[in-house]
Amino acid sequence: MRPSIEEQLQGTCRVLETVVAPCVNDPMARTMLDGLIANLRMLTVALPAMPSFLQQDNETTAQLLLVLTNSLPANLQAQVIDTMNKPDPDPTDVAALDAYNTSLRNLLAQAVCIEGLSADQHRAIVQHMSERASRVPMRYVATSPSPPSSVKT
Amino acid sequence: MRKLIAQAIPSAHNILLSNLVRSAGGLSRENWSVDATWTDDTGSHSHPLMLMRDAAGTLLNTEREREFSVLKALAHTDVPAPKVFWIDKLGSCLGSPSVVMERMPGHCDYMVLNGSASLDVRLTLARAFTGLMAKIHAVDWQAHGLATSLGLPECPLGKPSKQVQPEKPSLQELAHWESEYRKAQLEPHPELDYILAWLKHRAPAAEAIVLVHGDFKPGNALVDGGCITAKLDWETAHLGDPLEDLGWVTNPVRKREHQITGHWERREIVAAYRQLTGRTVREADLLWWNVFSCWKLSVIQLTAVAEFVAGRYNRVFQTPSWLYRPMFQMMEAAETAEVSETAPSAEIERSLP
Repeated sequence: MRPSIEEQLQGTCRVLETVVAPCVNDPMARTMLDGLIANLRMLTVALPAMPSFLQQDNETTAQLLLVLTNSLPANLQAQVIDTMNKPDPDPTDVAALDAYNTSLRNLLAQAVCIEGLSADQHRAIVQHMSERASRVPMRYVATSPSPPSSVKT
Repeated sequence: MRKLIAQAIPSAHNILLSNLVRSAGGLSRENWSVDATWTDDTGSHSHPLMLMRDAAGTLLNTEREREFSVLKALAHTDVPAPKVFWIDKLGSCLGSPSVVMERMPGHCDYMVLNGSASLDVRLTLARAFTGLMAKIHAVDWQAHGLATSLGLPECPLGKPSKQVQPEKPSLQELAHWESEYRKAQLEPHPELDYILAWLKHRAPAAEAIVLVHGDFKPGNALVDGGCITAKLDWETAHLGDPLEDLGWVTNPVRKREHQITGHWERREIVAAYRQLTGRTVREADLLWWNVFSCWKLSVIQLTAVAEFVAGRYNRVFQTPSWLYRPMFQMMEAAETAEVSETAPSAEIERSLP
């Protein structure tokens, strides 16, 4: 379907940058507009990457939970097993992928704080989290503040 | 504003306000500049003012009363800070809690240490920032009554008062920011929980209890003619560990704001601070505060995310995943530094975006 979602987002950024932004003279509004445009540009790249990111993250998070399972208290272990036994969400259903991701990460948040994990388990945790951080499609886009003024900005 | 002035100075009349402009910056509150003139029993007055007002949505929940009491105390010290005039604690005059202070001369530029000025000028300024930090940490907070208005560090992590560890303000700061984290949390963040557990387990003791600025950076200062004319934004000031401020400025993720590559880096900043204060500054402790700084920054960003989602904040932030890897590397370095006091920052810096 044309224009595609990406084309529409990119076109929106172009119009905002070339038509709207030059007419915004208020410094506060302009700073916010610049930030919103930068974020929209980030989303044009992040949006199509989200389903595959979530799918991969669900797989690797589940693998890490399995590595930790034996060290977990019984009730948390049971929750992990229960979640793992559920059927995988439809890979084309982003909302379902996201909901499953939240379930897995909720369990992981509890599991990584358990005392007495082995050095190997800690290494696996840090490796998983570091690799995930490098893959996350949605990232904060820093924009420069307004030019220095004679007062605190 | 007229109502506030009239309440503060009952004899004031002919109160005129002009040139009201909202500054573009100010992520945690609204900053307005305004010129005020009035006449009272003592004569005619004219003041350039800054009004700091709580915004509807913010990425930093702070207290105007705290800022007001600190600025009042600093008026009796050699720390350059604006003279504070009035506070509207409940927002009955200005719509939300506000503080009004003198508008100081100078420019605010968060990248001033890496701007267009010559290296000599920037190095002099960099040294002045560290000198200012030492000066703030030397404020006699007991003599100025700040223990009453700010409170002494105690009651870490919800322990009963009998188990307080006043030598560990690190735990109190952690408890405060954990509370902010839980308020802002919209989804699970295993990374932040894992790092939080590490921070709790390794919280360092303080060499001293000092007045901590809490957000010490060039972006919170006014500079005029190569000199710092005022240190601003005292709303997060508190009594605590001096390494908290030092950890904020030596944090590798803020390097471009605080350091001058090849000339004024972590090693030079720490050496200058040690010389100025006579404090030891253990590398492992400083690394703990570096990790804490990133963790706190993460919580601030999550607060902005929550406020944006709630429709109260107009800038878009994301989950701060870019901070995770530097934190993991500093955690590893802190454990190594327990044995060796070598600054291991090069590897951390290479991992930054």
